[in-house]
Amino acid sequence: MPAPDGAWLRRARPALGTLVEIGIGWRAGDASAAQHARAAVLEAGFAAIAHVQASLSRFAADSAIARYNAAAEGEVVPLEPDSRELLLLANELHAASAGCFDVSLGSGGWRLEDAGLRKLHAASHLDLGGLAKGWAVDRAVAALQEAGAFAGWVNAGGDLRGWGVELPLALRDEATGGVRHLGSLGEGAFATSCFAARNSPGRQVLAGGVRAAHVSVAAPCCAWADALTKVVGITGDPHHPLLQRYDARAWIHQQ
Amino acid sequence: MRAPVVVIAASAAVLGPACAFAVEYMSVEQAQRSLFPQADRFEPQAITLSPAQQQDLQGRLGSTWHAPHWKVFAALKDGQQQGWVVVDEVVGKFELIGYAVAVGSDGAVRQVEILSYRESHGHEVRLAPWRKQFVGKKAGDAIQVGRDIANISGATLSCNHVTEGVRRIVQTLDVVRATHAGA
Repeated sequence: MPAPDGAWLRRARPALGTLVEIGIGWRAGDASAAQHARAAVLEAGFAAIAHVQASLSRFAADSAIARYNAAAEGEVVPLEPDSRELLLLANELHAASAGCFDVSLGSGGWRLEDAGLRKLHAASHLDLGGLAKGWAVDRAVAALQEAGAFAGWVNAGGDLRGWGVELPLALRDEATGGVRHLGSLGEGAFATSCFAARNSPGRQVLAGGVRAAHVSVAAPCCAWADALTKVVGITGDPHHPLLQRYDARAWIHQQ
Repeated sequence: MRAPVVVIAASAAVLGPACAFAVEYMSVEQAQRSLFPQADRFEPQAITLSPAQQQDLQGRLGSTWHAPHWKVFAALKDGQQQGWVVVDEVVGKFELIGYAVAVGSDGAVRQVEILSYRESHGHEVRLAPWRKQFVGKKAGDAIQVGRDIANISGATLSCNHVTEGVRRIVQTLDVVRATHAGA
């Protein structure tokens, strides 16, 4: 694909509990490439990230998810259109994965209604950690494209999506540090989750007693890639039928 | 939507050797101008705390206060202080992160910008020789795997070290501000 021949602008800030990097490119001679214009485009991207965090993080006091988790049985929490769209996706993934992907982490008891998100029983709680970073990346990419970035990428702690450019990819070595060259990504999203053996505390568990492994998924958008790493990791199946449905591919890298 | 074109190295099942990765995002000067675009001057400031202030800070932070290795600059416009830019560096398990935080004259964080990100295998990030190779590097002189646009994928890297560093900076400046206000 034709690459921008103007300079790349690459910035990173802490957000979503990790470091979020935005890279944007312009063609040389493009009038919109003036410094203040580029800064404004970057800000549009970071603002989109901040908006997802404020509306959906369970740690953000006023977010819909925090309010839901604190709500009493029977309460309905109103939702912004973007938040509703994400929860619809969560619902769809839950059904399509036969319950394997579950933003209620087994507690169930939530229902999307016209008025908002209804809490069906008191023990129900939601955690969008398996989906929110990828979703935020997609929203930021949309904002950057709308603001005029010809090409670029958004990388939220290893969940990334690029457009207009082929991105060289490296995989972090979680055990010993450093990165290993993996390949390249063209026009799409890539997410990686780390799964550990059953006796490793605090890590997602890979099925079948497989020892520590990375699961990577490439998909057209980052929310799907993010969610599908969980499905592949939990089932241990890099050819899970859900991958085809979402135009995705998966890899399992043993450590 | 179309499936992304992903070219993964043939030996993806067994990946190659681990190497270092680094990105220089901004110089200190670029960060100052970005964080306080209205300022016309940035004046280095030393922070020294009296024993009473140190004790106050220890209570706020819940840990013993050590003199920090920060670079502190007062952001000035027409001689009036608009706030501070504080430059700090934090070390994680395998990463060394340089960052700058803008604090307004009201003590609130205005923005945090990452200046540099360096990652390595083993414990190199803590070794002086490894860190020295980056001294004098300007933004744009990136040392990177492959091309200038290489990206890392992996399990999520936490920004806890950075947010904890920012918290310490904000609390310290709060103590300094309280003193200057004659409190």
